Amino acid sequence: MQNLAKASRAIHALAFRNRYVLRSSVIATLFFLPQLLQAQSKPLINSTLRGRVTDARTKEPLAGASIKIEGVTNQTQTDAEGRFTLITGQSFPYNLLISSIGYQDVKVTANGSPLTVELTEAANDLNGVVVVGYGTRKRGDVTGAIASVSQAALKQPVSSLDQALKGAATGVQVTQTSGQPGGGVSIRIRGGASIQGGNEPLYVVDGFPLYNSAASTGALSGTPTNPLASINPADIESVDILKDASATAIYGSRGANGVVIITTKKGKADRNNINFETSYGMQTVRKKIDVLGAKDFAILRNEVLYSTTPAAGKYQYLSQQQIDQLGEGTNWQNAAFRKAPLQSHQLSVSGGSAKVQYLLSGNYYKQEGIIKNTDFSRLSLRANVDARPGDHLKTGVSLAISGSKANIAPSGIIGSLLIMPPTATIYEPDGSYTLRNPFENIFANPIATLNETSNKSNINRLLGTAYAEYTIARNLAVKVLAGADVSNQKDKYYVPSAIYEGAGPKGTASLGSSNYNSWLNENTITYNKSFGKHAIDALAGFTQQEATNESFIAGAQNFVSDDLTYNNLGSGATLVRPASDTYSWVLHSYLGRVNYSYNNLYYLTASIRRDGSSRFGKNNKWGNFPSLAASWKISNEDFFKPLLKHVTDLKIRSSFGTTGNLEIGQYQSLSTLYSLNYIFGGSILTGFAPNRVPNDNLGWETTYQYDAGIDVGLFSNRLLVSLDAYYKKTNDLLLNVEIPWTTGYASSLQNFGSVENKGLELGIKTKNIVRKNFSWETDLNISFNRNKVLTIGNGASSYISGNYVIQVGQPLGTFYGTITDGILQTGEETAKGKFTGSATPKPGDRLYKDVSGDGAFTTAADRAIIGNAQPDFIYGIINNLSWKGFDLSVLLQGVYGNQIINSNRQTLEMFTGQQNASVTALDRWTETNPSTTIPRAKLDPAPIFSDRFVEDGSFLRVKNINLSYALPKTLLTKANLTAVSVFVSAQNLLTFTKYTGFDPEVTSGSNVSPGTDSGIYPVAKTFNAGLRVSF
Amino acid sequence: MRIQTIVSLVLAAFAAGACSKLEEKPESFLVTEQFYQNQNQAEAAVTANYRKLYESGQSLYNSLFQIGVEMATDDYEAGPRARNAHVRAISGLTHDASNDRMEQLWKQSYDGINTANIAIDRIALIDAAKIDAAVRTRLINEAKFLRALHYFNLVRWFGPVPLVLHETTSLSAENLYVAKATEEAVYQQIITDLTDAEKLPKRATYASADLGRATSGAAKSLLAKVYLTQKDWKNAVLKSKDVIDNEGYALFENFADVFAVATKNGKEHIFSAQFKGNSGYQGNSLASRSAPADVPGINGDYADALHAAGKLYESFSASDTRRTVTFVTEIVSPVDGRLYKLAAPQFHKYYDESVVGNQGQSSKNLPIIRYAEVLLIYAEALNEDNNGPTDEAYRAIDEVRQRAHITKLKDIAPALSRNAFRDSVFQERRKELVFEYQRWFDLARRGADYYVATLKAAGKTMAAPKHIHFPTPQREINLNLKLKQHPDWLN
Repeated sequence: MQNLAKASRAIHALAFRNRYVLRSSVIATLFFLPQLLQAQSKPLINSTLRGRVTDARTKEPLAGASIKIEGVTNQTQTDAEGRFTLITGQSFPYNLLISSIGYQDVKVTANGSPLTVELTEAANDLNGVVVVGYGTRKRGDVTGAIASVSQAALKQPVSSLDQALKGAATGVQVTQTSGQPGGGVSIRIRGGASIQGGNEPLYVVDGFPLYNSAASTGALSGTPTNPLASINPADIESVDILKDASATAIYGSRGANGVVIITTKKGKADRNNINFETSYGMQTVRKKIDVLGAKDFAILRNEVLYSTTPAAGKYQYLSQQQIDQLGEGTNWQNAAFRKAPLQSHQLSVSGGSAKVQYLLSGNYYKQEGIIKNTDFSRLSLRANVDARPGDHLKTGVSLAISGSKANIAPSGIIGSLLIMPPTATIYEPDGSYTLRNPFENIFANPIATLNETSNKSNINRLLGTAYAEYTIARNLAVKVLAGADVSNQKDKYYVPSAIYEGAGPKGTASLGSSNYNSWLNENTITYNKSFGKHAIDALAGFTQQEATNESFIAGAQNFVSDDLTYNNLGSGATLVRPASDTYSWVLHSYLGRVNYSYNNLYYLTASIRRDGSSRFGKNNKWGNFPSLAASWKISNEDFFKPLLKHVTDLKIRSSFGTTGNLEIGQYQSLSTLYSLNYIFGGSILTGFAPNRVPNDNLGWETTYQYDAGIDVGLFSNRLLVSLDAYYKKTNDLLLNVEIPWTTGYASSLQNFGSVENKGLELGIKTKNIVRKNFSWETDLNISFNRNKVLTIGNGASSYISGNYVIQVGQPLGTFYGTITDGILQTGEETAKGKFTGSATPKPGDRLYKDVSGDGAFTTAADRAIIGNAQPDFIYGIINNLSWKGFDLSVLLQGVYGNQIINSNRQTLEMFTGQQNASVTALDRWTETNPSTTIPRAKLDPAPIFSDRFVEDGSFLRVKNINLSYALPKTLLTKANLTAVSVFVSAQNLLTFTKYTGFDPEVTSGSNVSPGTDSGIYPVAKTFNAGLRVSF
Repeated sequence: MRIQTIVSLVLAAFAAGACSKLEEKPESFLVTEQFYQNQNQAEAAVTANYRKLYESGQSLYNSLFQIGVEMATDDYEAGPRARNAHVRAISGLTHDASNDRMEQLWKQSYDGINTANIAIDRIALIDAAKIDAAVRTRLINEAKFLRALHYFNLVRWFGPVPLVLHETTSLSAENLYVAKATEEAVYQQIITDLTDAEKLPKRATYASADLGRATSGAAKSLLAKVYLTQKDWKNAVLKSKDVIDNEGYALFENFADVFAVATKNGKEHIFSAQFKGNSGYQGNSLASRSAPADVPGINGDYADALHAAGKLYESFSASDTRRTVTFVTEIVSPVDGRLYKLAAPQFHKYYDESVVGNQGQSSKNLPIIRYAEVLLIYAEALNEDNNGPTDEAYRAIDEVRQRAHITKLKDIAPALSRNAFRDSVFQERRKELVFEYQRWFDLARRGADYYVATLKAAGKTMAAPKHIHFPTPQREINLNLKLKQHPDWLN
């Protein structure tokens, strides 16, 4: 650990936080490298070989393939037309080793010119391609830690890609923040490192970097839709997840949370294809929560009222006779949950020639929610075109347009469904809605809310990149890429006067609109060259990205009629103050990377990115993010040859470097003013006051990461094992440090404190059975991460935030609460009454542990650490079986060792008689049932968070089963079809968990308080069937 | 050569690209450095000060006083719909240093103080060419008045408190960690600020568009109240008499006009929190918090309730015109037109008839100090200063009683002892100023014994001597090692 600390200090020294301009020196070095390297002495010529390398299937020329003479250092590369010339001191015949990224290596004997070699595309194993930042690499040559998501995971019927990542790769924890159609997920790559800043990874879609931050314009109620849901998952070819510093440092100040690289499908030359895929599914809620029926509730309420005012008797709510006449009452959950259909239709056309390849696709996706009146639909179109207009020029465009619409569940609806009394009705006898909980004002009739509230969000998005790459010289290419992400969101909200929330204001309408506009320009230059046993490829570039967001919101109340909803704000008698906002940010970056390899044995990668961000304080605008990685392919060593029979591949690798996190929003370093109004002489005047103390030193969070890994391929790579260990330390955390209120402010954003994550990741891929008609492959991943807060600055060792504590030595997401200690029994009032937290203790009150040991219990003083949201490990197992035309894939996903705060349950165990309660109320303490675990019913129990509401969140679930059958080719050729398959699938079919809430796959999504299940829209269980046809 | 040309071109492109700025220039925000430069901006800075009287949600003069302070008296309790455990704790006097309503009292007051400090510090620095000298002085004195008001509240609630008199401009230790000043030092500062604020224009000299601003009369009245609280009877007499004689205030003939929208900022109003419903602005939320919840179409919250055992309602005689303005006992449903009898009297002072069913938009102002109170301050101070009531003291209290159509005290008890007259004044204050955030202060300033006895008599048995102060919020003690808990609240 001490060495690590030293190393991190050394890296820190490298990462000049500002002031020094590295730019010129780094870039100059990279640029003049070519000239330096060309100055070699000429070899003796004995033979000249001319040839061509092509794709075995498409016959397309392969540029950049390397041609190497076995046993000597001489090698060359193919040009844009796949041609090469090898001038060598060797005489024919000699053996050539030909390789190209994405293709299987080939060994041929050269007998003379011309020579044509065909390469076959590699399957997704060690020869496969991995998309890295600003380029691709052969998996076997990668020095960093990169996980590729399997096709089995990508084929799930999900509304957005991030949902497909569950259990699909090592080191990636994916948790649902809302099960609403089009709802969001929270992703942690190698643990969360930030407390206040963003923890979500950077996504790079066809070269365009973006964050997936959902935003409501403020007009809506509830969780806004997930912006990634605007990208059609069916268009995605591959997903590569960059995890260690070597892989992510090229993304600099945005790399610390990992990077998810998404590449969409492209057309292939001479493979003209029309694909049609359609599927239809049905979703249900996994389980419902058991709450009291009408009779039991009435008894509870009578009991509460009696204990509050004994003088008024035991039947203050309903008489025994009335109770006897009650039926089951209203089942609010049944009234809201439903079976909900899901459908997706996709048509794509792809193909092309050697010069131009294209892919066009259109998709319609519609998912109804398992809660009434919630849904998500998306219509998307994509055009990906690549062209080669000249020998030296390559150009292409990747463009997607989508329109999505969602009906969103109003906030608080789940909680409301649980606690509405069963004796309340949905409708009054006259058919109008019952307005609210008859006993408590703030809880409106949730069914009326669901049915009558309009809560819609429409997003139209255009996301695209275009590039041109010009080969200046054989080894030198310049690429210019431009991209744009334009997103228009419109939120529409209306609460009619017929329901409780709308009755007071006589209808409330609001409209919000936001336009997000981000553009990108990247200019890179690449150089690659092999000389002798040395191979080098280098990248340098300058990129700039800017984004602007403009939004406004307007509203009105007091409508004569509910018919016009939000469509005519002017007709509301009362106008709600409108608001508008705009922000922008700029990021300028210089980047450079050199990959060097020696004789396919030793690989080195060095990279650096220098980022200048508008978001930071004026003293701290620029930062440098270097990384260094090395790997050694031991299996290519001569001494290893005897072992090759068993061990096909063996590689060790190691990397370290720094990355940053700048996700703090805009203008946080400035003392910005906000407007606030007051009335003089009956008119409104605008005033201004600052909302924070300025902090000129505000900077990014810096993560130092060390990674060591080993990749082993056994038995002709039928067993691939990949093991990574990492240590990540994040310094200068962006923390909203609480400051005394006497300053006039509650907190101030400062760079304070540090957090560490360390862990192990193990991935195993096996080809268990490989036969002509039957194959079985297994892909297993398991990841362990340990998170710990090291310092939180200001000399503080902990701070409490609601039910959580951030404490030095403890992980983030640590629950802080009281510890229950049984129930106060009759006769114990004087001895134990002071441990109830109640001023007037009565038998049946809950007892708590006196943690502080001061002889009495108070909520403030007697809290302890009672759980944690961090899992011990997460895992996924994918099994793929194929037999003749059948393919079966089964994805199991699991999380072990985390806890969940079941906040819904805390509310349901209040037993106030004002709102419904959990069925545990049936075992509550009464004089005749002196329970030792469940307290008595009372009107005003203090809402004390205790260990009772902390539950084991471990689960193992059958995340996805997919069975497909491909019709035999013989049948198809007559019908002129290429392929036809039918499939059935199920998501979340089985879940094994002790968690008592709707679903264990929940989190509140916040950094400080992950793992709280409070009214979260539950994840559905889905059955799906579909058809795929290719022409 | 060709390569060199291209490389240098690309490098040139890089350099050109790097020209655009990384400085943040927010377009929808102003920043401190560009503000506080001229008279308009100085006025906006002071407008912000006023808004800190109640900023948003449960804020100081818009219900926080009620739920965070007044609940701890014999007259009020957490109503049937007040579900917040912290509020119920205050009502039942089981609150502790982590009570979030009490934290808000502290937090919002210091927020107001910092905003006032900004105005006081920065307006003084504005270039003389850009601001009228008289306006500059007036604006600074308005801010001083508001700062004094916040400190006066704080010192009464919490006892000794940190005395912060300048803007927090950086995160330095001296800005962050301030020790408590003695009560004397806090009072001295309050008096200094209010003495400056006495130079504010009189109510009559303000333009009608400026009604609602602090005036010389407001400063003097508040100062009289400060002296009264300090038991500096002589000065309390002098200041209240100064207001009575020189500031041109008078009682409305009709008590209902004190709370009528049409008579806002009238002759009796010295300083009020201004509200305006249905204007894109904010209503007085006490209206909905006290309105009936179960009568169809009223849509009240009934969270702020009368504490029946305190017998406040019964203390009014039937002829007292204040009773029907203060309370409602039956109300007509706007939905079915029926008259509903209420189970208990409910507060009604801020109920705005123009927004039935939507009392959140009540436009009724909340008096912070009004002329009736000045008369009662004068009566009380005279009685104390002269060891018994003078004729003038009787005249002052009877002016208030006559307006309420109840018999003059002089007529029913012409020769009261000092103690008995004091009780009469407090009883009059209690009835006159119901639901105006005064009761807790009146109980607390009579001392722990009186407070405890009164509350216990009203059935609030948890009352203890420490309750004449609130505990310093635990959060502040945790964050600022220089801060100590109030001695009464140490376990």
